[in-house]
Amino acid sequence: MAFNPLTEKGIPMDRQFRSWSELAGETYDTNEVHPYTRCRVILMNGIEVEAIMNSHNAARRTADSGIKQMLALVRKAEQQQQKRVNWLIPGSESTIANTIGYEQVAVDLTSWIARHEPDPYLTQAYEFGVLEDYDHLYRYANLMDLMGERRKAEEITGDLTEILPGRPTIFHHRHPHDELRRPMTVQASDIQSILNAMTVVSAEQQTMNFYMTVGNRPEDPLARALYLEIAQVEEQHVSHYESILDPTTPELLNLVLHEYNECWLYWSCMETETDTKIRQVWETHLAMELEHLRLAVDMMKQVDGLDAADFLPKGGLTEPMTFEANKEYVRGVLDRTLDWTAYDSEFVPVGELPEDHRFFDYQRKVNEGGTPSEDVIRRHREEFGGEYRFNTEGEHPNPSLRESGTAEDTPYDKARQNATETV
Amino acid sequence: MMTTRDEKHTGLHHTADKVQDTIGGMHGRVKAKTLGSHSGEAFAKNAAIGDIYEITAAKMALKRTRSDRVREAARKMIDDHTTATHQLRSAHRMSETGDLPELPTEVDMRRRKWLEHLEAAPDDKFDETYLDQQVLAHKETVDLMTGYAQSGDNWQLRSFAEGTAPVVERHLAMMEKLRAAL
Repeated sequence: MAFNPLTEKGIPMDRQFRSWSELAGETYDTNEVHPYTRCRVILMNGIEVEAIMNSHNAARRTADSGIKQMLALVRKAEQQQQKRVNWLIPGSESTIANTIGYEQVAVDLTSWIARHEPDPYLTQAYEFGVLEDYDHLYRYANLMDLMGERRKAEEITGDLTEILPGRPTIFHHRHPHDELRRPMTVQASDIQSILNAMTVVSAEQQTMNFYMTVGNRPEDPLARALYLEIAQVEEQHVSHYESILDPTTPELLNLVLHEYNECWLYWSCMETETDTKIRQVWETHLAMELEHLRLAVDMMKQVDGLDAADFLPKGGLTEPMTFEANKEYVRGVLDRTLDWTAYDSEFVPVGELPEDHRFFDYQRKVNEGGTPSEDVIRRHREEFGGEYRFNTEGEHPNPSLRESGTAEDTPYDKARQNATETV
Repeated sequence: MMTTRDEKHTGLHHTADKVQDTIGGMHGRVKAKTLGSHSGEAFAKNAAIGDIYEITAAKMALKRTRSDRVREAARKMIDDHTTATHQLRSAHRMSETGDLPELPTEVDMRRRKWLEHLEAAPDDKFDETYLDQQVLAHKETVDLMTGYAQSGDNWQLRSFAEGTAPVVERHLAMMEKLRAAL
């Protein structure tokens, strides 16, 4: 099954604007929704937010009033789409429950992307990030119990995603220079690489936005502190993923690629959605995006003389992005790369860092006085007699995390002990 | 073969080393502007060797300079050329760079001579020698990066050159200023 957004017809702009009651329509039922329906909703909200922010940034950097008008027109529709999607989430779904959904998106989206990434270096970039979001899921799941949520995290994620320690969050905190990777080029990269990166940047960006905005809403100091800590890691993830995009992409080409990506993802959601009402939302939004794409393609041709048909796949796209279980895949990544950290654009085992590397200084500074992601596990152990985990595939691949999700005896802890303090 | 501190080159030897370094630098610039600006293989090899030279020379400078400003510059060279080394390695692993040969892990004969001359420089001539070499080396690297960014045959390596060129241009300006202040 192929899908070519360039040859499909969309809804004209004058028929895209909807009333408030249409936008604030039915929500899903938080107790009945399929976990991957929730994941698609969270993902597409992030995609729409990125569409909007990209459009605003482009508008701020162009004097061409024709381009500004096109951006404003499409952006208003994207804003309505964002509301329709994000308002599918019911008010009865607590912030922490929705947070579990966000991290399930991060794990299973990034895993699919990594498995479908043609470039070996970029695959490494996705595998590096996924183990960190995997750990965030585990830390938030333990917090969820402590916050008195009436459900366990596995009731949100279903049987689809294990909840186990990943690369411990305490060790995610790196010097800012160590989030900057090698970018692909639009001229030579596979289109799938571009779509993959745009998708994950949008998802991680929305996760960052979410935590940095709502992380201060709990009253419990540990909850507030954990959201703060993980929000800082999501900033790292946004820097990490956005740095693999080509920074020299011309503005209108960037816009075309954004719209093309939206078409691919709405098509993917439509093809894989099990909820018939929500499937209708994906279908309607896809039809809108097709017109947004056409407008962007036309403008690029008029202004830059570039024809999208010359460089986008002639036969269209054949594989929908699919939320599906990745348990064995993630376990394999855990087994191979748990102890990795980053040094500039490269990924290295933490034990290979020089003893005076900036990683250790940064770690000392931010973790001074305690680390919320460690404290949440200790407190869960104290209050519940053990940690929360959801394990369906056997013991943890890494011996240092089998009994305990805290930092002791991990390769990071050993490297930290050997590190020297710089002046 | 590297000389020891006890066999420091003085007077005539030091002058001869300096002339040889200058000729080496001129030769390097010609190469950078020709093959290095077009061939991915030549570019990557030259860029990698340049980084190894810079890091090695800077480590020597950290041990031997008595100038805080030179020390600060040397630290920056280690940081920035390590970043460039990592970026080039990452580029080398991408599909976009295809079948490039493995990157060198040692300097070539020309840069080996520079390092030998640096090692042999008398203590009171060390900073001058280091900075003279830095100006030569960075002129060559600027030519290499700017040339390849414009005319190179591989998009990924052009991207790397485009990202690195402004950094080495700033290095050159800094080293010229430091040299003039000596």
